[in-house]
Order: sequence, then structure tokens, then C-alpha cells
Amino acid sequence: MAITIVKDFCKGCGFCIVSCPKKVFDLSDEMNKKGYRLPAPVRIDDCTGCSLCDLYCPDFAIVLEKTKKKDKEKEVG
Amino acid sequence: MPSGVIPGKYFVQGDEAIAEGAIAAGCRFFAGYPITPSSETSETMARRLPEVGGVCLQMEDELASIHAVGAASVGGMKAMTISSGPGISLKLEGLGWGIKNEIPYVVADVQRAGPSNGVATRVGQGDFYTIRYGSAGGNHSIIALSPKSTQEAFDLTIDCFNLSEIFRCPVFLLTDETVGHTRELLVIPEEDELKVVKRFKPTVAPEKFVMYPLNTPGVINYPFPNIGEGYGICVSPYTHNSKGYASTAQDIQEKMARRLVLKVTENLDKLVRVESQKMEDAEFAVIAYGGNARPAVAAVDMAREQGMKVGFFRPIIVWPFPDADVLKVAEKVKNILVCELNIDGQLSREVARASKGKAEVFHFGSGGVEPHLPAQIFNEIRRFYK
Amino acid sequence: MSTVGETLNVLHPLVEKYLRKERMPHMACSGCGIGQVVHSVLLAIDELGLTPKDTVWVQGVGCSSRITYSTWVGDNVDAHHGRMFAVATGLKMARPDMNFICFTGDGDCGAIGGNHFIHACRRNLDVTAILFNNGIYGMTGGQVAPTSPVGAVTTTTPYGNIEDPFDMCQMAVAAGASYVARWRSTDFKALTNSLKKGIQTKGLAFIEVLLQCPTNFGRYVLKSSNPQDVLTWIKEHSVTQKEAEKLSKEELTGKYLIGEFVHRPERTGIVERYQEFLKTHQKY
Repeated sequence: MAITIVKDFCKGCGFCIVSCPKKVFDLSDEMNKKGYRLPAPVRIDDCTGCSLCDLYCPDFAIVLEKTKKKDKEKEVG
Repeated sequence: MPSGVIPGKYFVQGDEAIAEGAIAAGCRFFAGYPITPSSETSETMARRLPEVGGVCLQMEDELASIHAVGAASVGGMKAMTISSGPGISLKLEGLGWGIKNEIPYVVADVQRAGPSNGVATRVGQGDFYTIRYGSAGGNHSIIALSPKSTQEAFDLTIDCFNLSEIFRCPVFLLTDETVGHTRELLVIPEEDELKVVKRFKPTVAPEKFVMYPLNTPGVINYPFPNIGEGYGICVSPYTHNSKGYASTAQDIQEKMARRLVLKVTENLDKLVRVESQKMEDAEFAVIAYGGNARPAVAAVDMAREQGMKVGFFRPIIVWPFPDADVLKVAEKVKNILVCELNIDGQLSREVARASKGKAEVFHFGSGGVEPHLPAQIFNEIRRFYK
Repeated sequence: MSTVGETLNVLHPLVEKYLRKERMPHMACSGCGIGQVVHSVLLAIDELGLTPKDTVWVQGVGCSSRITYSTWVGDNVDAHHGRMFAVATGLKMARPDMNFICFTGDGDCGAIGGNHFIHACRRNLDVTAILFNNGIYGMTGGQVAPTSPVGAVTTTTPYGNIEDPFDMCQMAVAAGASYVARWRSTDFKALTNSLKKGIQTKGLAFIEVLLQCPTNFGRYVLKSSNPQDVLTWIKEHSVTQKEAEKLSKEELTGKYLIGEFVHRPERTGIVERYQEFLKTHQKY
């Protein structure tokens, strides 16, 4: 899964960090122009594609994209 | 759309004539709440609107009515509601939604004696200023027409609907219990004799269309796209930009206020509707409107019989107040007697203002319940005639 | 591969398809649940195949409504405070062919708009109404709402609320709405499915959503602005109807029942009745 944080939309609520069952996210050192501290998917390889981060995000700031490589790996098992 | 107009001669109340006028104008949505002395209009609409495929709803209260009417117009229907003083007071906030979003519809006020609930079944003329200045926040003009008879109730209701489309705003029919409840002759003409203005629709694509022309405040005959027409319209009770997005910016507020005021004041030439009788050589004028007009005319005739050079002037359009025409009257005569059914002096105040001191203005008021008798007005003429 | 999006080159697909980009990010506070509910609404719209051409968003005043103001890429009709249902009535009767997604809030629906709400239910107006219940008045700064819990400290109940809250869902049931349900903002799948069911049900679908207001409910009532704390409070105070069967009356006090309460699509509403009515009475 590729995870993109839409910087300008994030309001730093932290739901993605708390809700991820695999603890993929951490607070980064980066701030957006509104002064919100952004999350970053630092452990992206642990992502299972459950989409909870997307659902929990109240601001449509998390864009998930299934990566072909990961899908193929899952198929092979 | 079938007109539903049934030409012929009828013996009906003014309230019923309002309903027939609305239907003739293409009104196909009515929402109201029963309130004396307007209920006969609601009842006529309940009977007639379904016949022409329209929607007639008795809503749960006055507020629901005005909001449903504004919404139905946004939905693409010509729409109307009716009430009396206390109900008009309740509707004033909702009226603001129609004003701000430039939504065409008609509100009729069948005035009763006031203040507060007053005398529900009897005449008054105390809402003259309410309809003009009652809605929150100012920064808008109001258009209001006032009939003197059942026939005019029919004719002017059509005029109100037409003006609402031309000016893209709510328009008032300011009437009263005398006109509303008097039964007299109504002649409904053939359909092709009626002049009905259709809603203006955009001729440009949605990306190019400006929903609220804030940058051209004086423009009229302006398109009003409705929901489901592909224009992605935005309607909002807040100050908004030309797209309809709410804004707190001062320049947007300024533009919006100017648009809502100037679109009427810059088009006064389209809004001349007055009546004069025996004014050519008059040295004294009597001014009255609505249900108090015909007693005033009778009093003027009585005065003329006594050799007094008295004339009669009537604003048929009460808002915007016909300043220029009243000034002409004031420049011609020495004194003006304003006869209205309120003690606080509302029409007389406007007449005094518009007269600019060119004539002395006297207020002959009564609390209402009865219109003035011709003899009462004649006595006042005698008091002040020089 | 992970990236942090630089500008609006990357947009959430639901935003891309359904929302006005120039209106984003929406004005909700950080951690507010409204965005989560809007997300569920957009998923429901997407899965049902509703489009901006046939669907109108209607809202009133309050956080419940202002966050969705002119946000939908189709037609948006924003009503005065409390008048959303009256406006929805006019819109639907004028355009019965269109879908109306209506947003309302504690005050908009339960206080100033109460009368229009119950009559819309009575008329079983064929629209879908979503009540954002955050137990407080958010937009105006944290005053008590008719849905605030007893004891809640708010800016207008500084010594604690002494009034009982409404059960808005029970009112909708009693007044006649065809579909009534209550969920939490974090019941993502259930909420989306319920929204789909409501949209597809003829008659009024009234879906109440309990959601977190960290700024006002959190700070004033719970003394914490952490949205997680409000979510936890909501979870602790909500119980499914099945769970409720096992609880005593005392244990149920102050708890919200979650789930569907009524689904009676056979109950006709004003829209279809009026269309039938015209078949008999229209002459011209």
C-alpha cells in the first residue's frame, strides 16, 4: 500500500497514529503551513491495507493506493 | 404548463382573487398557515392548485411556510405564501433568506388591526414599515404593491409575480382585511390577455455563470438557475460571494449590500405604479392606499361638490416608496392629508419625507377595525383646507 | 513506498469526485467527528451510484451544517437555523425526482428546528436526514443543547445541566419516520450501510450519529480536548440494543442505544401520496 498524507488537509488530530493496528504512523517533525504537526507512515512495510487510517481521518488527508508489488505478493502468499 | 385560468366574471372576496391571480401568474406552489383574515386565500389555493397540478401545503407554522416557499422556488416553482401581521412578523427572518439569495416568490400580507394579535377579523394598516424594514440587518430594498379592490388584488398579484422574476427577489402584496374580505366583481380575462413573465434561465455554461451578480448591482432580468439544472447552485443565509460561498470579507459584505439595495433603486423606472384623480387643478391632496383608498376618493368627491380644489393620489407601489411622484404632488398643492389606519403614522411619515417641505402634511389616523368613512375624511379635509 | 503529499496534486478520491476542492480543507476542528461522518456519507453515495446531477445537499446552521456548506460539488441549499426540514419539504415537493441528503444538528433539529423535524417525520418526507449529535452547541462556543447529558458543564450551564436530553430517535419513530437508526462516527461500516439503507428507503430516513466534539464537549464537559477521550466517553455511554436487553433500568440511564430502531418502508409519505392525489384531482 502506498500512503500519501495530503499535507494541506491534515489537522494533526492523531487518529491515524492511534487507530492503526500495526502502528505504521508516527508524528513527524514536519509541520504544514497551518502549524499542524504531520504524521508519517514510517513503518509502511507493516501496513496490511486495512484502511482504518483512511476511515478515521476526518479530513480526507490520507490517500491510500494499492501498490502492484504488494498485491502480487499477497496473491502468491 | 396549463394556465388553469378560467376566464369569466366572478363575485368573490379579495382573498380569493389573490389566489386566482397567483394561479394565472403561474404559481404552482403554495405553503401557508391559517391566519385570519388571509385564510380564504389558503383555502382557495387548496381547492384550485391541485386542479392545475400544483402543490398546496398547510405547513406546521408561519416559519415553515416561508422557508418551504423559498425552497420551492429554488426547486423551480413559482411560489407564494400569505399571512397577516403577526404571521408576517414570524416570517421576517425567512424572508431574509429569499432576499439574500435573490429568490423570486410572493408574500401577501392581509393587514389587520394591531399591534400584536390585535383584532384578527378587522382591518388595520400597521405593517407598512414592518415589511420594508422588519427583516434582520437592513441592506436590502423591498418591492411591495397594494391593491384597493378585488380586481386589483387579482391584477397586482400577477404583477407581483412578474416583478419577483424580473428583480429576482421576494415581492410583497400588501393588502388588508377590507380588500381581503369584500366581495365584488372580478373579471378574469382570456389567457392570451394576461402578461406573465417567465423565469429567466442562464444562457451560458455553469462554469461561466455568476449566480449572484455582486459586481453588477443594478442588473435585473437576471437568470435564476434551480436545483437539478446542472448549475451546482449554492444558496446560503450568510453573506456570500458571487458563487454562494459564505464569506466574512468586508468587500464581499459591501458588494452584497449594494447589490440588494441598488438592484431596486437603480430601476425605479420599472416600478412606477400610482393613481391620481382630480389632481390637475388641485390645491389640496388626499393620499391613502389599499382598503382605505376608496373612502378617500369618495371624500374627495364630496369636497369637490363643495367647490374645494381637492385631488386624490394613491401609491399602488408602496415600496420602494414613489418619492418622485409624491414630490410632484407636494409641489403642486399646499396641504396633503394622509389617511391611514394606524395611529403612529407610517404612510404619512413617508409622504412628509418625500414632500421635502413643499407642502404641509397632515396625518389622519385611526387604530383600525373600520376603514375611514368618507364623511370622516371629508371633515378632516375641511379642517385643513386653505 | 510512502510519501507525504506536497500540495493538492494528490487528492482523496472522494474529494476528487464529490467535493469542491476550493472549499477544502473543511472548517471542522482538529479531531471533530463530522468529517468522519461525511466520509461515510460519500461512501454511501458512491456505492449507490448517486451523482451530483441528481443529489442535493441540504443543511441548516451549526457545525452540523456549516462544515458541509457549499462543499458538495452538486447543488447545495443551506437553510436558516432550524429550518432545514422546512426547506427540504419545499425542495422535495418541487423536485420529487431528486435525492436529498440533509444534515442537521442538536439545536438545528432538536431546539429551534424541533417543530419542522417532527412534521417532516409525520409527513414521512422522502429525504435522508443525518443528525450530528455531539451533545453541545459547537459553532456558537459550547452552550448546552437539548441533547446534552444531565450534569454537563457548558458555557450556559456552568453549574451543570439539570435538564434531561431528548432521545431524538424515539421522537422520529413516534412521529412516523420510515427508517430510524443511531450510530457513532466510528461505526464506519455500519453507518455507511445504514446510510445506504436510509437513502434507498422511501420516506424519511433519520440517522443520528453520536460524534466527538473535542473543542467544546471535550473541554467543557469532559475537561479534556483530546478527541480520543471524547470517543472513549461515547463508547462507554453507548450500548447496542442487544446488550441493553441484559441491563437494568439504572444501568441504562445516561446510555445511548445504538442500531436500527425502525424500518417501515411500507408507510407511505407525502411525496407519493401527493402524486397519487394529483391523479384524482388535477383537471388542467
